[in-house]
Amino acid sequence: MGVFVFLPLVLPLTAWPIARLAEQHLHPRTATRLLTAVAAVMALCSTVCLALVMVVGTAQLPGNPLPDGWSDPEVRAAVPYDEVVGKAAIPALCAVVAASARTLWRHGRVRRRAHRALAGLPGTGVAVLPDDVPYAYALPGGRRDRVVVSTALLDCLEPGERRALFAHERAHLAARHHRYLLAVRLAALANPFLRPLRTAVSYTAERWADEAAARAVGDRRAVATAIGKAALVSRGTPVATLAGLAAPGPVPRRVAALLGPAPAVRTWPPAFTSVGLAAWAAAAGTAVSAMSSANAAVTMFLILRAATPF
Amino acid sequence: MRDDRRPRRRGQGELEALVLSALREADGPATAGWVQERLGGDLAYTTVITILTRLLEKGAVSRERAGRSFAWTPASDQAGLAARKMRKVLDAESDREAVLASFVTGLDPDDERLLRALLGHARAAEDG
Repeated sequence: MGVFVFLPLVLPLTAWPIARLAEQHLHPRTATRLLTAVAAVMALCSTVCLALVMVVGTAQLPGNPLPDGWSDPEVRAAVPYDEVVGKAAIPALCAVVAASARTLWRHGRVRRRAHRALAGLPGTGVAVLPDDVPYAYALPGGRRDRVVVSTALLDCLEPGERRALFAHERAHLAARHHRYLLAVRLAALANPFLRPLRTAVSYTAERWADEAAARAVGDRRAVATAIGKAALVSRGTPVATLAGLAAPGPVPRRVAALLGPAPAVRTWPPAFTSVGLAAWAAAAGTAVSAMSSANAAVTMFLILRAATPF
Repeated sequence: MRDDRRPRRRGQGELEALVLSALREADGPATAGWVQERLGGDLAYTTVITILTRLLEKGAVSRERAGRSFAWTPASDQAGLAARKMRKVLDAESDREAVLASFVTGLDPDDERLLRALLGHARAAEDG
């Protein structure tokens, strides 16, 4: 399998252009689905390859539980630089598994706690909480999907803007956006090169909900002003950005997009544009990633089977 | 064998909500005994006292001395209790954005200026 086993570890770089271009040039729904799919496949392939390299590394360690034949020179020859990368893959894979487990556990815990906090309230779809801190959340929970809004936030919005806010949160719940967000979060943990995709998806998911809300209330400007006002009243928590690199943050970009025309719905961008080329590059990267990891997995399986004494 | 007469075990939040809603039905301050009676004698007196004390710690009820016992008043309703619990959840989770897609994220000063300009344009377009 040679160097092919390392390809899925670096191929996420091919998705960087689309992660950058998708938010301006694709419909937010298309962008979210495309980027999440690319991130999920690439993360899976990268983890499979990490695991394959780890097997070779672990077999070299004294006292390992693997069959002795797995540390034969023939097996080790399958992975270039097996001494170094094999051992480096062990902590890397452990870190990926631990971080993913921790993320999943915390995800479940926040949802459980939030639902428990609302347990005393009547089981309506919207929970309005008397609180002087402005916030609004979509709390997923199957049939117990809920929109949680504080009175402080509602008080600063006009009726049309309130409808926009509720429509936005319901769009998050209806399209199950938390699954996309969780998927890209796990993907970014599995391979740090996928982090730009995570940032992009958390933005495009918001844009998706914005566009859905704009269609539901039939007023793009109401959604824009609702977001703007909500951001201005809750500006107490500044985001950490590097001063020199401060591009406009996500909120002004969302408002600007809503003040412009609705994005066109296309399933795939035209090939000979920058975004089209970027999309094809990401698709090709994903395909090569899948083929390399499949090739590496099959090769490794055959080698290890040959090396296992019966 | 299971004792069927025993009421099923209820979650703590549920009991707190029950006691609080009973207390809210009272005209003015109520004693723990009144609350117990109101709940249909389902709960032991000591349990009611425990729950009321817990609600007091959370700031959901207040009490004043009335003779040899306390008279309890709800500080707020169930929504207030839920709001306080929710705030605790939100404050405890540093990366809650990962789970609960917030309506808006934070703004830095440049963003704020830009946003005010955008909203200003939007309003001007509406008026004009």
